Amino acid sequence: MANASGTRLRALSASTRLAFLSFLADPQWVIPSTIAPVVFGFAAFELYRYAGPVLVLEAVLGAAMMSMWGQTLYGSGWATGQDRELGTLEPTLTTPTPYLWVVSGRVIVNAITGLVGGVLVYLVVAAAYRRPLPVEQPLTFAVLFIFVLLTLASVGVVLAAVYVYTRYAGFIQNFGEFAFYIGTGCMFPVILLPFWTNPIALLLPPTWALDALRYATLPGYVGFSWGLYWDIAGAVATTLIYIGIAGTIFRRVEQHVLESGNLGDY
Amino acid sequence: MTVAHRASIWRTFWTNAVLAPRMSLGFMRADYVFGSVVIVPLTQMVFFATVASLAGNAQASVGYVVLGNAISTVTYTSIFSVCQTTDQEKNHGTMEHLLVSPANRVAMYLGRGVIPILVSLATVTVGLLYAALLYHVSFGGANFPFLALSIFLTTVSMVGFGLFLGGVALFFRTSIILGNIFLFAGLLLSGVNFPLSFLPPVLRVAGELFPLTWGVAAIRASVAGAGLATMLPYWGFLLLGTFASLVLAMALWGIFERRALATGSIVRF
Repeated sequence: MANASGTRLRALSASTRLAFLSFLADPQWVIPSTIAPVVFGFAAFELYRYAGPVLVLEAVLGAAMMSMWGQTLYGSGWATGQDRELGTLEPTLTTPTPYLWVVSGRVIVNAITGLVGGVLVYLVVAAAYRRPLPVEQPLTFAVLFIFVLLTLASVGVVLAAVYVYTRYAGFIQNFGEFAFYIGTGCMFPVILLPFWTNPIALLLPPTWALDALRYATLPGYVGFSWGLYWDIAGAVATTLIYIGIAGTIFRRVEQHVLESGNLGDY
Repeated sequence: MTVAHRASIWRTFWTNAVLAPRMSLGFMRADYVFGSVVIVPLTQMVFFATVASLAGNAQASVGYVVLGNAISTVTYTSIFSVCQTTDQEKNHGTMEHLLVSPANRVAMYLGRGVIPILVSLATVTVGLLYAALLYHVSFGGANFPFLALSIFLTTVSMVGFGLFLGGVALFFRTSIILGNIFLFAGLLLSGVNFPLSFLPPVLRVAGELFPLTWGVAAIRASVAGAGLATMLPYWGFLLLGTFASLVLAMALWGIFERRALATGSIVRF
């Protein structure tokens, strides 16, 4: 048992290291994690800047969130897509280590690069604004920011799992991008959207986590009526459900490979 | 120029127009065209319109932002997909064959722009329909012939710019970064989401070098019912931009082609 967990951790560590090196070798991933969010952040900043510091902080938060989302959406698709394209999907799946651990390493790197992009967006917009941004309870902000990242990572793992079964990963990434930004309320509270969209948005863990982050950070914020703590509870619950779904799909993927051996067909 | 030579040029033009969407224009698949024409204008518009409604900035009202985004979505099909034509040639291993073929480069390049222009026209039209139906942007005072001409010139100019970036991409391992930079730069520098006067002077000048800026201005003016005197400078800049882009694109092809023949290194991906 100890050996099995040691192997998994070794695989996780190796996968994380390799994903990080691949990120450095192929700089196109800088776009979803940094360039796009900085542009969106500045566009929102220009619109919000005369509406006061709270909305500027909203723009910063939103752009940072988009950085992490973009990296999750694009990076996670590639987390399994790369194996399929390079022909390593089936060999990797036949190793003793569960594939979930290999993918998790890649998703961790995506999440961290997204976080770095988020911090960069914060610094750039804050420098352009030249005034302090009113972050209430900085420590809570930092903790919840990481928490948002974890909820995104859970979505990333599910997307990576689903992408094994579809050729439309690229389609979902390219054309679902804005839909995800809208659905999770990256740049504005979800309650501003028509009511019928709210239940759909609440299926995504980051929606809950981001609402919680805004409650803890933005003075006078009005989000979902249930408030901060139920937001956190909802985020934890949906994140656990996503992790469960991902684990189930990956187990099915492994079984599928052993039975038919045709997952690599592209 | 002989009759046979002219026929060859036309054949090159039409072959590229018909085949490029299936071959080198990787993003011109039916599902991607559907996404570009129907999904992207809607989601991008809803996103920025909601941001604008929260901001409540009178100079960048919801109507202003919606109209700008209806036009800017043309960037996906005109720049992002077109500039990847070079990547696809390298990726499929067909660049060597292309470089040693006697095909007329101008005909080949212009041919590749035909389908993207048509898809871009559809994208802007659907975007404007969304603006009218979902956000009640008024077209009551619009000068429709001028609007149609402005949309056409904008798409041609943007596709020309995409072809120019495709020429630049000959030198790079991938054009995705290049395409993405200009994809997003338009949202910031072209008066899509807020007037150019919001920008610092340096960025304003940078924006004026980008054809989307003139396209957005021309379409906004024709929707407002501007007269011929107002429209001519916008159209002039769009035509000038198209011409400059194509000349630069052909010049880049010439330079990199000579380099390829001399060193044999250009097709490395």
